[in-house]
Amino acid sequence: MSAVPVDFYLALSAVLFAIGAYGVLSRRNAVGVLMGIELMLNAANINFLAFWRNIAPKAMEGQVFVLVVITVAAAEAAVGLAIILSIYRRFGTINVDDVDLMKG
Amino acid sequence: MTSLPPAAQYALFLALAGAVIIPAMLVVSLRNIVHAAFWLVPCLLGVAGIFVVLGSAFLAAVQILIYVGAIMVLLLFALMLTSGIGVPIGLVSRNRQSGWALLVASGLALAIVWTMETHPFAQTVEAIPARSAEAIGRSLLTTHILPFEVASVLLLAAMIAAVVLARREDEE
Repeated sequence: MSAVPVDFYLALSAVLFAIGAYGVLSRRNAVGVLMGIELMLNAANINFLAFWRNIAPKAMEGQVFVLVVITVAAAEAAVGLAIILSIYRRFGTINVDDVDLMKG
Repeated sequence: MTSLPPAAQYALFLALAGAVIIPAMLVVSLRNIVHAAFWLVPCLLGVAGIFVVLGSAFLAAVQILIYVGAIMVLLLFALMLTSGIGVPIGLVSRNRQSGWALLVASGLALAIVWTMETHPFAQTVEAIPARSAEAIGRSLLTTHILPFEVASVLLLAAMIAAVVLARREDEE
């Protein structure tokens, strides 16, 4: 058993998640928003592994879920960046403040 | 990892936490978006280090391969195809609601930590199984074959979607 308690990992992950959330909410560049989302996904992965290690090390679900999250993150990055490229072609900008065509 | 004395384990954890948090703050705050993207690399490597400390070297390798390898290259490609590195990127990197964003993010962190501290978890003393990569592979092809196959279909769908979305419209 590891000497560092699970709370330390959870606190690290909470701080990382909040930093990612700040990035998502405050970046003007759409790629910056995606980088914030990647930070939040990484925070979730730290949580999954911390719980796996300290609560249920015999179960495989913790590690399998992290693998699935990394796969989904790769898919999300590919589709998200394709959407950003297509927005850039149409509007000439990827500033999320300026792309407001669907704003009611 | 478990062979290290407790003080060394704490020191290692704190060093890795610093290696995750400080680059992460630069990622969300630097004005130059390309510099921010490059600071994502030490942050993701720090997360891989946390994975090693938690006893899953296989997932640390996957993290480096997919995040540091693939996703970072995608991000840099997107940056170079859009705003460009030579072009001075707008001096204001934050949008209009960044003050609120800071408030929401710090409130979120405080709320999570408060919830965590008021609801303690029962930690187990069980050791992790040896050869965890073999155990993951075995469970992915037996118990967890459904998420494995769903992930493969998702990757195919994402690949086709990315090709269709990024294609120029005048080629049709």
